[in-house]
Amino acid sequence: MPIDRDTMIEVIDVNKEYRMAGAIIHALVDVNLSIKSGDFVMIQGPTGCGKSTLLNVMSGLDLPDSGKVILDGENIARAKEDRLSRLRRQKVGFVFQDYNLISTLTAMENIEALLWPTVLSSKEIENRAIAALRDVEMLERKDHYPVEMSGGEKQRVALARAIVSKPRIIFGDEVSGNLDPESETMIMELLKKINEEYETTILIVTHRESVVKYGNVVVKMDKGRIKSVK
Amino acid sequence: MKFRLWKKAVRMSMRERKTFIVFTLMYTVLIFMTSFFMESVIEEFLANNLTFTSVVPLLVVILAAIFLTLLYAWIIVRRNRKIWATLKCIGWTKGNVTQLILGYIFFTTLMGLFIMVEFLFHWVAILGYIQAEYVPGAPVSGLPLIKLWAVLFTILIFLLVQFIGYMGARGRITKVRPMLALKRVGE
Ligand SMILES: Nc1ncnc2c1ncn2[C@@H]1O[C@H](COP(=O)(O)OP(=O)(O)OP(=O)(O)O)[C@@H](O)[C@H]1O
Ligand SMILES: [Mg+2]
Repeated sequence: MPIDRDTMIEVIDVNKEYRMAGAIIHALVDVNLSIKSGDFVMIQGPTGCGKSTLLNVMSGLDLPDSGKVILDGENIARAKEDRLSRLRRQKVGFVFQDYNLISTLTAMENIEALLWPTVLSSKEIENRAIAALRDVEMLERKDHYPVEMSGGEKQRVALARAIVSKPRIIFGDEVSGNLDPESETMIMELLKKINEEYETTILIVTHRESVVKYGNVVVKMDKGRIKSVK
Repeated sequence: MKFRLWKKAVRMSMRERKTFIVFTLMYTVLIFMTSFFMESVIEEFLANNLTFTSVVPLLVVILAAIFLTLLYAWIIVRRNRKIWATLKCIGWTKGNVTQLILGYIFFTTLMGLFIMVEFLFHWVAILGYIQAEYVPGAPVSGLPLIKLWAVLFTILIFLLVQFIGYMGARGRITKVRPMLALKRVGE
């Protein structure tokens, strides 16, 4: 890989706290982190240390109390909701722990749904969805509903949805948390393939040691702070 | 607004078969009752002897329609919260999501209207058929169950009610945070 790749995400002096029943929880404390384009990042740390909060803030799902989050050159720390929505559609892909496929839509439609609100023609949307399904080797299941698929298969469809808009970065929080080891390997191999073929930056929060080897950057967190970046 | 989203709303609402059928039938009944009371209210109004007691049932069914529309919006938003959160997460704006939900409600209402109009036509057709056979020469003007203008007025009111449904859905959709999509079930 080239040495001076662009910076994909830059987190600068980010703080975030939650107030609950009088108590203040410092979920993120002076976090600084720089992720380069094409990195495959693993975020690790004990439960409650702020991993999900960091992921939410970096992906524009949540706003920090202070600091900056520069996503692909744009500070999203103070962006408006609709701007963030469009940004996520254009630049970000998501994979969820429990797949989050829509039960009334087929595999194909679940993937296309991401592009429905765009100006793309229906034909173009269809072509892209087919290409994405082929990438995750689920094309022959395109007309199946989520109930007709196993966990691993659902996650592959979800992965196809995450790449259908050709995002610059994919976020995932415990993407293999509900999967058996075999499906986990398959999902991680697919992510690796996407990372290598499309140079998509990937950022995954995980508890599982078996998954960590896929990353080229490992971020360790503790009590809202970043302990190490390797 | 994207025309495509209306089409998808139609497809998705029909796939939620039970909810769709139940609400379509409830709308059909309400639309029928509204036009029924509408007819008598307007007739009394034109005859200049409109009384408060005849307006009340009309108002009641219109309020019921508003309530039903809000209830439908509430049920759709509530039951599929994780779906809306996911769609927001992957880049739908709240306007996109609201349009989809409005599409559900709107299509259900249209189906209700369609069923009622079909029923009114068939009513006249059947009675007309029997009458032609057994009471030849009798006037057909008494056959329609509800007069056309009462039906048209009712359609207008139900279209207006959609707007209230829209407001209701919009308020609720705004509260669904996209982050919810990342949470585990039951968390
Ligand atoms: N919406 C919220 N309201 C209040 N406190 C919250 C909220 N979300 C997170 N927290 C708190 O912030 C801290 C960090 O939470 P976060 O979900 O980021 O942890 P995590 O590292 O992802 O943990 P896990 O590994 O269990 O998923 C925790 O102490 C949590 O209780
Ligand atoms: Mg977490």
